Amino acid sequence: MLSDTEYRAVVEFVYREARLADEARYAEWLALWTDDGVYWMPATTDPGADPDKHISHIYDNRGRLETRIKLLQTGYRYSQEPASLMRRLVSNIEAAPADNGELVVESNFALAELAIQAKREMHWWVGRTTHRLRRVGGELKMCRKKVVLVNAAEPLPNLAFLI
Amino acid sequence: MSSLSPAPSIDYKALVQDDRIHASLYTDPRIFDDEMERIFRRGWVFVGHDSEIPGAGDFVTRRIGTEPVIMVRGTDGAVAVFVNRCMHRGTMVCPADRGHARTFTCPYHGWTYDVSGALLGVPYPGGYTAFDKSTHGLARAPRVSSYRGFVFASLSPTGIPLSEHLGSATKLFDRSCDLSPAGAVELTAGWVKHHCAANWKALPENDSDGYHLGFVHRALFSTVRTQYQRVVGEEKAIKAVVRDWGNGHMEIDWSPGYQGPFEWLGGASGSAVTEFVAALERRDGTDLARRRILEGPAHALIFPNLFLGETNIAIVEPLGVEECVHWHTPMFLKGVPEFNSRLLRMAEAGMGPASFLMPEDLTVAARNQLGLHARTVAWLELGRGLNRERVDAEGRTVSHVTDETTNRALWRHYRTVMTEA
Ligand code: FES
Ligand SMILES: [Fe+2]
Repeated sequence: MLSDTEYRAVVEFVYREARLADEARYAEWLALWTDDGVYWMPATTDPGADPDKHISHIYDNRGRLETRIKLLQTGYRYSQEPASLMRRLVSNIEAAPADNGELVVESNFALAELAIQAKREMHWWVGRTTHRLRRVGGELKMCRKKVVLVNAAEPLPNLAFLI
Repeated sequence: MSSLSPAPSIDYKALVQDDRIHASLYTDPRIFDDEMERIFRRGWVFVGHDSEIPGAGDFVTRRIGTEPVIMVRGTDGAVAVFVNRCMHRGTMVCPADRGHARTFTCPYHGWTYDVSGALLGVPYPGGYTAFDKSTHGLARAPRVSSYRGFVFASLSPTGIPLSEHLGSATKLFDRSCDLSPAGAVELTAGWVKHHCAANWKALPENDSDGYHLGFVHRALFSTVRTQYQRVVGEEKAIKAVVRDWGNGHMEIDWSPGYQGPFEWLGGASGSAVTEFVAALERRDGTDLARRRILEGPAHALIFPNLFLGETNIAIVEPLGVEECVHWHTPMFLKGVPEFNSRLLRMAEAGMGPASFLMPEDLTVAARNQLGLHARTVAWLELGRGLNRERVDAEGRTVSHVTDETTNRALWRHYRTVMTEA
């Protein structure tokens, strides 16, 4: 069990992370990560998916995460130029301590994306997120974020924004 | 898919000219229906790879054009392709992407088929007199053939054999497969499916377009060094070429621009690499092995729907006249697991909706599709490079990598297929 104060800090972190992603505030979003961060989005809903054997939509270490952000900051990442207009609802937040003092946070999200780069279409993205949070110098940072879309294995349109 | 009343015949010779094509080829639903019949039903279409269904009863479901099919390995070890439609009243028999089955049972009234397509049983057979099960097996793609594990099917009982369709383009498969010390590729990592709001032909055209790289992919090239760097910059300094292999097959060959081994991987070193090279040298001798690791795998489009995408394999799946899906999976090299983990990460970097290359391609493809609705200007210019193409010793047209030789290769074959009797 987390204390009320700890749970509140977790919820604030998750909301803030969602808002920074929605608003394409790339540098601030990147600053939420630890140096050993892993950003994973499987291409399947199978809970047994192994990122070393099966292809993923995203499997970023810190270096690739930085490249992802740099691309978005060039102004030439046409799949996000201009950036999609987005708002996501995050809910059902459950948090538990892990053995090593980190926190495991699970939540659901529903994200409305207006993709304005070509056809100006509204896309709905729905899934479950697992954050792993660690205190670094008194502040919560994420060292792992796993996003499983309900339609992870279906044909997906561009997903170059931060999910 | 074909409409009830016959479409007024479309003059493909007028729409597809040697140096320009008409925009309706990307927007007219009647043309799409024609393509599904002439290209995807009558011709050879890539369905899947041997390694996806290693054991008897293993299957994957795919579509040939818009026709749902099951590719399954029978108890005799042979691969068959069945139409995924119950012989009773048409229900799709198998809804799963992939799996293992001993039988396929239709959910509607329980008709059950075995993996050779034979109808095993019909519930309550008293409702029929002299029912002949043997004529109610799953419909089968009449022709199935493969090359180096790549399985193709045709829904037409007649036509040229696969070997004639592929022609000398089998060398492109060889170039990729022979990089494996075991001589085989394995497609076992699963597929990512990337939805594209454009006509399906935009995908083979873009996958073989050497002109767009420095523009569409400017974000990536201005951020990290990639193996493609050598094809942007001064026009005369670019050594890579495009090549027309006939029958609609065509390639980008980056290798004339490579100066050292493994540039197609962005470099490689370490003990796993040393062992890999040694294994190739034992099989092929030093010179050939060195050439293989210098040249790397093929970057080629096999008409109409297969992309040998260097270290990836991709499938083009048409959905409708303005909608298609680009499937991809890393091309694992049998016998070198250390390499394959790297190829897996490369696939995620380059291909798919969240990668660093394809989202730009498919954004531009969608904008291309929007522009093609204009009719004030209705022609697409495809004459680039006609002034400097040459024919090589093997009769293939070759040109500068930025030239539209690949588009013309596709469209010339398209015109033949769409107008033949
Ligand atoms: S439609 Fe398949 S059993 Fe009736
Ligand atoms: Fe591209």
